[in-house]
Amino acid sequence: MKIKLVNIGILLLILFQITALDVLGKAVVSGYVRDAASGEELIGANIAIVETGSGTITNSYGYYSVSLRTGFYTLVCSYVGYDTKRIPIELGKDIELNFELTELTTQLEEVTVSAEAGNANITRVETGSTQLSIQSIRKIPAFMGEVDLIKAIQLLPGVAVTSEGSSGFSVRGGSADQNLIQLDEATVYNASHLMGFFSVFNNDAIKDVKLYKGDIPASSGGRLSSLLDIRMKEGNKKQFKATGGIGTIASRLTLEGPLFSDKVSFLVSARRTYADIFLALSKDSAVRDNSLFFYDLNGKLNYTINENNRIFLSGYFGKDVFANDFAGMYFGNRTFSFRWNHLFSKKLFSNFTLLNSHYFYDLGTPEGSTPYFSWISFLDDYGGKADFIWYPMPEHTFKYGISSTYHVIKPGAVTVEDQGGGTTTSELSSNHALESAIYLSGESKIGKRLALRYGLRYSLFNSVGPASVYNYNDEYQAIDSSTYLKGDFFNSYSGLEPRLAANFLLGERSSVKASYARTRQYLQMSSNSTAGTPLDIWFPASPNVAPQISDQVSLGYFRNFMDNKIESSLELYYKKMDNAIDFRDHAQLFLNPKLEGELRVGEATSYGAEFYIKYDFSKFSGWISYTRSKTTRDIPDINEGVPYPAPYDKPNDLAIVFSYEISPRISFGANWIYSTGIPFTLPTGRYEFGGNILPIYTGRNEYRLPDYHRLDLSVSIRGKEKPGKRWQGEWNISFYNAYARKNVWTLNFQQDESKPDITYAEMTYLFRIIPALTYNFTF
Amino acid sequence: MKKLFLGNIHLIVALLLPVLVTLSCTEIVEIDLDTTYTRLVVEGGVTNDSIHHQVQLSLSRDYFYNQAAPRVSNAVVHLEFEDISLLMEEHDNIPGLYLTPYAFRGTIGTTYSLSIDQVDVDEDGTYESYNASSTMPGGVELDSILLNYSSSVYGNGWEVYMFALDPPSKDWYGMRFWKNSELISPKLIDYSIQTDDFYNGKYLFYGIPIAYYSDDETEEQLFPGDTVSLELHSIERDYYNFVGDAQLEIFGSNPLFSGPPANIRSNIDNGASGAFTAYSVYRASAIVPE
Repeated sequence: MKIKLVNIGILLLILFQITALDVLGKAVVSGYVRDAASGEELIGANIAIVETGSGTITNSYGYYSVSLRTGFYTLVCSYVGYDTKRIPIELGKDIELNFELTELTTQLEEVTVSAEAGNANITRVETGSTQLSIQSIRKIPAFMGEVDLIKAIQLLPGVAVTSEGSSGFSVRGGSADQNLIQLDEATVYNASHLMGFFSVFNNDAIKDVKLYKGDIPASSGGRLSSLLDIRMKEGNKKQFKATGGIGTIASRLTLEGPLFSDKVSFLVSARRTYADIFLALSKDSAVRDNSLFFYDLNGKLNYTINENNRIFLSGYFGKDVFANDFAGMYFGNRTFSFRWNHLFSKKLFSNFTLLNSHYFYDLGTPEGSTPYFSWISFLDDYGGKADFIWYPMPEHTFKYGISSTYHVIKPGAVTVEDQGGGTTTSELSSNHALESAIYLSGESKIGKRLALRYGLRYSLFNSVGPASVYNYNDEYQAIDSSTYLKGDFFNSYSGLEPRLAANFLLGERSSVKASYARTRQYLQMSSNSTAGTPLDIWFPASPNVAPQISDQVSLGYFRNFMDNKIESSLELYYKKMDNAIDFRDHAQLFLNPKLEGELRVGEATSYGAEFYIKYDFSKFSGWISYTRSKTTRDIPDINEGVPYPAPYDKPNDLAIVFSYEISPRISFGANWIYSTGIPFTLPTGRYEFGGNILPIYTGRNEYRLPDYHRLDLSVSIRGKEKPGKRWQGEWNISFYNAYARKNVWTLNFQQDESKPDITYAEMTYLFRIIPALTYNFTF
Repeated sequence: MKKLFLGNIHLIVALLLPVLVTLSCTEIVEIDLDTTYTRLVVEGGVTNDSIHHQVQLSLSRDYFYNQAAPRVSNAVVHLEFEDISLLMEEHDNIPGLYLTPYAFRGTIGTTYSLSIDQVDVDEDGTYESYNASSTMPGGVELDSILLNYSSSVYGNGWEVYMFALDPPSKDWYGMRFWKNSELISPKLIDYSIQTDDFYNGKYLFYGIPIAYYSDDETEEQLFPGDTVSLELHSIERDYYNFVGDAQLEIFGSNPLFSGPPANIRSNIDNGASGAFTAYSVYRASAIVPE
């Protein structure tokens, strides 16, 4: 282990030496691309050099760097939804060139949206990735008026919602725990609020969202199926600004602005729901007396020390509260990241990060009550990483770095206090593990048409003592246990994760892309339900649990029409997952010290075709996504060894997202979702025992629930704008499930109380039409 | 009857259910289900009470059969233990119910084997035979129960506390509750089961209530002078698993808490369903005070 780390250090040093070299006769133009109004850096903005036909894009911090022979050039900077800027330069020595782009708003009618939308989707090497701006997410009708980026992600091709209303999502047949969700690079372990009906991401605090479904960058790993990279706003650098909303279920307020000077900016965002008010409508007093709410706090501070050094401090804290006089349940996330951007040279960008993620839950009776019962669980990540981006020449960009995270998982501790004063504590042993990785990747253009992205990631997972690990026999029964002392590195897994992608341009408007990616996952969630609960715990790879490994190939054809106003793509993928985890029938996943004995391991495969058409015209915009796919699990000890459909397998999944600017002040949004019903296990036979009728099943997931479809609508009406008036208000009216489709949430079988021989099927659906009214403001 | 026990998912569901109830609606639906072959169903047990021990044989049917399950008559049923083999006789008036020829007490530690012959469940003209066995566990020392009137998340009513010493072995328990001479909710779904995970080898006292007699339920509501009785069963793990699986299935599934529905485990061989179990019985009573 130590030797490996030393080697890694030497390698980094060598890379650093190479990257510091300058090539004679060349100079660098570099800088940041920002929003002209707020000063926020723009991620993924395009910089094209007209004379050479080459270009680059800004990184996650809005930075770009291009190395060119000295001479005269024209730089064109473009970003979707923003005006394009062209700047001619004379490059004799290194220069810094920052772009400030102005957001295009249809409110200003004199601006004809003539700027090219750009063909970044065609030229980018990445396959299976989608970037969504928060502006486009806001156009989608929102459940209870709460704009939610996870709900927007669920409308993309290859992404399936796990259960109605859930914040869980399945990417290309993967499980919900196979998505790496990062907020400013810190992992968010449970992105759900209120049983998943809302996600933890407050849209007022979010700048940018990007989902990688196939070709996950080598800089990231640890999950099989996807990376959801969410970046918080940095805070307005130019002026103080307040944004907020008062809604049916929640209110929000965000304050941002420069602090002391233009070198420091901050953002503080808070959200509090009041779901309790709906409970007050209930006839049942036991329901009325419950408190039920959640809140979120986002904060960010960034400081530009000088042109070569910037630091960012960002944090999130959120908590859900379900409580009444007798019992309560509390759960939440906390993330913290400290980042330091440093330019070693104009061509070598670096970022050093310190991270902490925390997830906890706590349920039981109120403090001081008798008998007293408490059940707590938490997970903590402490991590650090260093990432470098080297821009040696416009055709080549290299990224490399190292990361390490220490995981501490306390799966559960229960304390019971008798009325007699006795206390019983039962605690599952904690898990400790160190997850490290090193990666090297590059992006190169070869000739005019071919671009390659290649990366190699080496990941290493060590289980660390103290630990007591059960040993299991072939029948999954614990036979004995092994004990390890504090600090013992008692088990390790490691492996290479190659990532490759190629893009071949067929012309300005079309390209063919292909990719292969291997990913490894060492931490997984113990959940066998589709929606999951806040009580699901994460458990690590161990002597009994091998890491899950996924190999995925994908092939895509990308074609734009009408001056890039219509982007379309067809992507095919095939994914094979080894050591895929499922759980035995009637698994006991809560407070089970022998949880590993409940696992059943096998193989999962998923393949499919994803169609995507995105359109962006001056009056209307949106997208259509359709996925045709099949996902099966083949786990020898489940379903008598017969392969069965994965829980989220939806052969057909369609989303149509549409928004229309009726007038400069009024806009309309609609989306329609259709998908095949999820696989379901239904009884074929029955028998009597002890006065109850019990079911007999002949196969797991051999039936399907009825197809799911739903229409959501929204209308936004903006207040009149007057020169000099800072306050801008907007009313938003939304209807979730506008035609009141009764979509089956679950299907159960009941024994008739008066005629015990009769059984009947009963479906449960969650929502009829849900209207909501929200007032949003900014000043 | 509200079953209260530790580490049980029901506690969480009880807490979260108000939210779901507020948000959700149910509706009876018509669905088509496939058919399946017939299985033998066994429901039987041996206890340490001095009784005629019983085994009931019936058949499974397609799910929407909607009639009483057919009973299996004329089977040859043997109960064997130690060196004894008893032929169980079919009840004169209740078809499919087989009884030991005389009343006797089972003993803790003894293995009881059940064999069923001369049944033709698959109607192929050949008899099949089925076997099961169970060893009677025991050793818990049940002292008494105590009643306490309280308000809880369920409303007002009487909590029942148990005072008992759990043996050092790994144990599984079942509980039935009586009000005077009436067994409260005698169905399988109401049978309260638990493990000794939280109190192995310890003396249990005034801790977590084991049951709750609600004032809101007519058959449970207690009045001064009523007798509350606990029947504590020391059961085998196989039976605990059977009951646990069955209760999960009866309880139904939802996307939040439930895994996929699955077949209930059985300790009968040859593909039969149901359970045959030996268990020891302990009793304690308390009278509702003025």
